[in-house]
Amino acid sequence: MKLKKIMTTLLAASLVLGLTACGSGKKNTTVDNDTSGAKNTEQSSGTKKDESNGEKIKLRMAWWGSQTRHDATVKVIELYESQNPNIDIEYEFFDFDGYFTKLNTLVASNTVWDIFQLGGNFPTYLDKIVPLDEYIANGTVDTSHTTDAYLLTTQYKGSQLALSSGVNSYGIAYDPALFAQAGVAEPNDNWTWDEWKQACLTIHEKLGIYGSSKLDDFISGCSMGISQEDYSLNFFAPSNDKLGFDDPNMLVDYLAMRKELVKAGAYPDPGAIAEIKDIEGDYLVTGEAAMTWVASNQLKSLIKAADRELKIAPAPRKFADGPSGSVIQSSQMLCISKDSKVPEEAAKFINFFINSVEANEILQGERGIPIMDTVRMALQLNADETTNTMYNFIDLIGSYKTGEEVNVISPECKTIIEDQYKLLVEQVIYGDKTPEEAAKEIFDFASRQFK
Amino acid sequence: MEKKEKRKLSLHKFLYNDNTVGYTFALPFIIGFLGFTIVPMIVSMYYSFTDYNLIKQENFIGLDNYIRLFQDVRFLKSVRVTLKYVFFSVPLKLAFALFIAYLLTRKSKAVTFYRSLYYIPSLIGGSIAVSLVWKELFSSKGLINSILMNLGIEKVSWFGDQKLAMVPLILMTVWQFGSSMIIFAAGLKEIPSTYYEAAKIDGANKGQSFVKITLPCLSPIILYNLVMQTISAFMAFTQAFVITKGGPNDATNFYSLYVYNQAFKYYDMGYASAMSWVMLVVMSLITLLIFKSSKRWVFSEAGQE
Repeated sequence: MKLKKIMTTLLAASLVLGLTACGSGKKNTTVDNDTSGAKNTEQSSGTKKDESNGEKIKLRMAWWGSQTRHDATVKVIELYESQNPNIDIEYEFFDFDGYFTKLNTLVASNTVWDIFQLGGNFPTYLDKIVPLDEYIANGTVDTSHTTDAYLLTTQYKGSQLALSSGVNSYGIAYDPALFAQAGVAEPNDNWTWDEWKQACLTIHEKLGIYGSSKLDDFISGCSMGISQEDYSLNFFAPSNDKLGFDDPNMLVDYLAMRKELVKAGAYPDPGAIAEIKDIEGDYLVTGEAAMTWVASNQLKSLIKAADRELKIAPAPRKFADGPSGSVIQSSQMLCISKDSKVPEEAAKFINFFINSVEANEILQGERGIPIMDTVRMALQLNADETTNTMYNFIDLIGSYKTGEEVNVISPECKTIIEDQYKLLVEQVIYGDKTPEEAAKEIFDFASRQFK
Repeated sequence: MEKKEKRKLSLHKFLYNDNTVGYTFALPFIIGFLGFTIVPMIVSMYYSFTDYNLIKQENFIGLDNYIRLFQDVRFLKSVRVTLKYVFFSVPLKLAFALFIAYLLTRKSKAVTFYRSLYYIPSLIGGSIAVSLVWKELFSSKGLINSILMNLGIEKVSWFGDQKLAMVPLILMTVWQFGSSMIIFAAGLKEIPSTYYEAAKIDGANKGQSFVKITLPCLSPIILYNLVMQTISAFMAFTQAFVITKGGPNDATNFYSLYVYNQAFKYYDMGYASAMSWVMLVVMSLITLLIFKSSKRWVFSEAGQE
């Protein structure tokens, strides 16, 4: 009986203790990763032995991207830590969807990473970004080696939100050997969607493979597609509060073309597209397609994965003598979050990431062409063939005439419009809707999002 | 002096009271239940009347979210798709579980081994890994298509065909029949063997004794499994999220996947909350219907009317 009493008391006490311990915040449980020597594997989150006074500044950072990008970014972080022993950077990396899911939950709980990566969707997160203006003024961030045009790609209402970690543009990567085998001429700089379609059909007919792996339907059909109609048009108006065109029929041709190609077997059906997991699994890489859609900064990963000669051509136009619709844009940028307790340190790292030649020799322009002259020149000195291709491609796109106001960023409602568009593309393919009906529907749907 | 003694005694009494001990041990659950279930539910109820989007301050918009639901074609399709999934996957899974359980109640040394073996798929549950394996199995160059092609049948684009995309998802659920099977096996063992012996003497064959004895005796357990599996089937998410992402053309856009997309992809938390509440109501109604119908087919030994 007595034993029972003692046991109950003990159990209850340990329970209460356990509960309070849970609530008392985390104990200092620094994991020592360095016991096995200086080797720090790529998977370890960079927690290092705490030698000095135990006052290491911890920075949290996250990004999305391919394996090539993860490896290079981790190396840069390790380089920075070795040069700044008082800094400890904890990093996480994701695929694109996973990244934004995590980011959104962190936004809601006000615990966004100190340094985080954003793309053209940054207006959604304006409330979370600490602008760099102050750090540029006090010299923490150096912008003396770049131009206003490059700085402008990451500004919002006059405020410098971040610096672009590289500029890119979209194009079509293709396998010249397969083109030759199918007897199709390689694309020229102002080829049209009609020529692209014909190439797809011929390649499929001759070689039995897909003409093209997946395109980014929303960009090729909508955002770029509308800008190809006329120099003055954008899918989203530059003010980002309404659509930048008023004729749904401009969307019809693309939808009709997509349907025709799937029907002919020259383009993967939605099921086959769902099977593509990453760049390494792209049908161009596996040799099951002769072309694919690519952002110029991804060309490197793509060629590395394919391990054979691939070339890049500009995205096809609607009219050979019309606007290209292609623009040079900031691929991504690293932002400082408002939740950061050490924004100054975050700014220092961003400055290093953008300005350090040593860091960028590791990164090799994987996030796009660097915006700093110093870095660009250093990289070009010993650039390999792929890097040069990328530079030439960006130069080519930069030489195209563009409209007065080109919108390279996107409003908050872009994701839902994009998803609806992709759903409608599938409905057109399955014959549930005609291209005309789908075009009208997406136009109305998108317009409603701004009300 | 006496007062102090008295107080000490009452404290002692309080500490050793059965209720106190009970509540103390139940406390972790109570805290968890309040913190992770009740409070979020109340918050979500509130958000369902607002346009909360994670980032900005919310506005109260009354019943707008609920009205919007019934005009949303994608939502209505997701309801249809989910009902279809529940309707096919649950009976198939239960039938399969009962069949295996029936086989595994025989007296044999290897029974425990086989039971564990069949239970494994349920242990790994709705995990990402299983879904990825399933995706590979049914991919255009996957195992299933290779088998089909070896049999001389043309390969099938499982995830490219609107009508077929649901099949791999249902099969995956059916494959994870282990937990229902264990419960069925326990139930089967409870049926007195004398019933079967009596039936045998009366000349009943195996099929007859299964229908007339096993099924009625097992009916309370069938009811339990039916309710549990129906509820979990309504909440199916991982398979669709990992394998099909809801496609093609929303053919596998399950309810919970759509809720997730509205919440974490379009940041429409208010709308997603409203959707979750409608889901709760629908699920409660269907569970209620099952319970109501059970009076007609669940046989209770005690003979309570």
